[in-house]
Amino acid sequence: MRGDRRIDRIISERSLYQCLECGKCSASCARLLSGKEYSPRLLAHKLIAERDDTAFIENSVWECLTCALCEERCPSGVEFSRAILELRTLLAAEKGLKGYRAHDGALHSWMRLMTAPGLTQNRLGWITPDLKVASAGKTAYFTGCAPYFDIFFSGIEVKTLSIARDSVRLLNFLDIVPTVLANERCCGHDLLWTGDRENFERLARLNYEEFKQAGVEELVMNCPECYLVFNHMREVIPKFDIKVTLLIDLVEREVKKGGVKFKPLERTVTYQDPCRLGRMNNRYDGQRGLMSMIPGLSLREMENSGRSAVCCGNNGFINCDSFSKKIQVARLKEAQTTGADLLVTSCPKCMIHLTCAMRDPWRHGSLAMEIKDLASVLAETIEWGE
Amino acid sequence: MGRANLLAICCNWSPWACYNAAAMAKMPMPRNLRVMRVMCIGRINQALILRAFEHGADGVVLLECKDEDCRYGPGPGIGHSNVSKVRQLLDLLGIGQDRLVEKSFAAHEKEELARSLREFADYIAGLGENPAKPETRREAPCAATAE
Repeated sequence: MRGDRRIDRIISERSLYQCLECGKCSASCARLLSGKEYSPRLLAHKLIAERDDTAFIENSVWECLTCALCEERCPSGVEFSRAILELRTLLAAEKGLKGYRAHDGALHSWMRLMTAPGLTQNRLGWITPDLKVASAGKTAYFTGCAPYFDIFFSGIEVKTLSIARDSVRLLNFLDIVPTVLANERCCGHDLLWTGDRENFERLARLNYEEFKQAGVEELVMNCPECYLVFNHMREVIPKFDIKVTLLIDLVEREVKKGGVKFKPLERTVTYQDPCRLGRMNNRYDGQRGLMSMIPGLSLREMENSGRSAVCCGNNGFINCDSFSKKIQVARLKEAQTTGADLLVTSCPKCMIHLTCAMRDPWRHGSLAMEIKDLASVLAETIEWGE
Repeated sequence: MGRANLLAICCNWSPWACYNAAAMAKMPMPRNLRVMRVMCIGRINQALILRAFEHGADGVVLLECKDEDCRYGPGPGIGHSNVSKVRQLLDLLGIGQDRLVEKSFAAHEKEELARSLREFADYIAGLGENPAKPETRREAPCAATAE
């Protein structure tokens, strides 16, 4: 590892040499604070000065949640998550994929199965008759892995497909009949962030072919992870020419034109900022602006919200362990402390991970709380004004 | 027949006893079948079944004890639940849910076991190759190519 030019390049490109050793990263790291022996500051130090300690470095690289809270705190602009992503890609190519994969890697398995070119999926069963969708056209809605999640996570009764249905309902309300592709594949976010760049790129190219064949010019999605991936798609496919739109941005834009109002919703809600939406895509105010337009809805922020929001405990479905659980329990207690009776989020993964912690039988339902995606809240309340 | 990649995941107790007895009695069994013995079918999770397909299996059969015969208690129940979920996932993927089968046997049913394995092999041969064979498999660490 010592003298490896590729690691030198990552360190310099991601500004690790700018590290002041102030320790703000470690002081804010959710994983470290939950008790895990992992320290972003020490990892930065070892990468720069003690690269002989390969065992430490190789373990730490797979421990990070990549939630980017350390980056938010860093006064020197170290791009820590990006460095972790590149180090994982590098290490995985040489030493194989590491990191304990949650659910024994079942999710990564189906994502890799989707790289088969001859795949003919049967994934449109979620489209109910009231939804208007097309099979080809300029504006497409990207569903992502929701149909798969709902089967795999049926044990914890999480309904991510309701997010897809409500997203299409919102689009239909705005007079958009989105194209929903029968053969779109996973965006590959989880493969990319767990080091499998080869299969991630394969999925990206197959998806691009599908979009092109259907004549798609604009891709709308609600999942922040998919948005992050497609927003950086030119790094993989230089000729990628499809406009990528986040659903809440589109709704916000349309609502600002006027004519739209919201039905009252007498609820006290709190909001979980997903890392991929907030810290990685800088979306904080749009969601809050939309929620503030709903009459009766009172938003109570958690102690750590917005830029300081704490991770839902897991990312890319690796390293889900008792420390992840600790983070989730603390987060849910924080949400309950606000006095809210509804937890709103914008990411299906936050929904899955937090719901999983709520369903822990040993907590006897003490963490249970209604959890909903922002798209669902909006779809249920949006209406035309007089 | 014989070209398909078949995997049988076999519980160590009743089905393995049947498999052993069937082999001792030289009953005809498919040659293109790899049998993997596990202590209990409850050991198998959704990920392990999916991984078989990821690694190029054309068909997977779970050989389990009868519900009331499990040496540990919940084994076959876990098997039913996992098979039902993975079948739905295979259906979504377009691989087809018929490529995953579960069969249960009492310890004396060697003829039944040999026959159902032959039927399974014939059935998968009729379906042809798994349409979603990935180009590469990257689950296991690949050979180190250190400079």
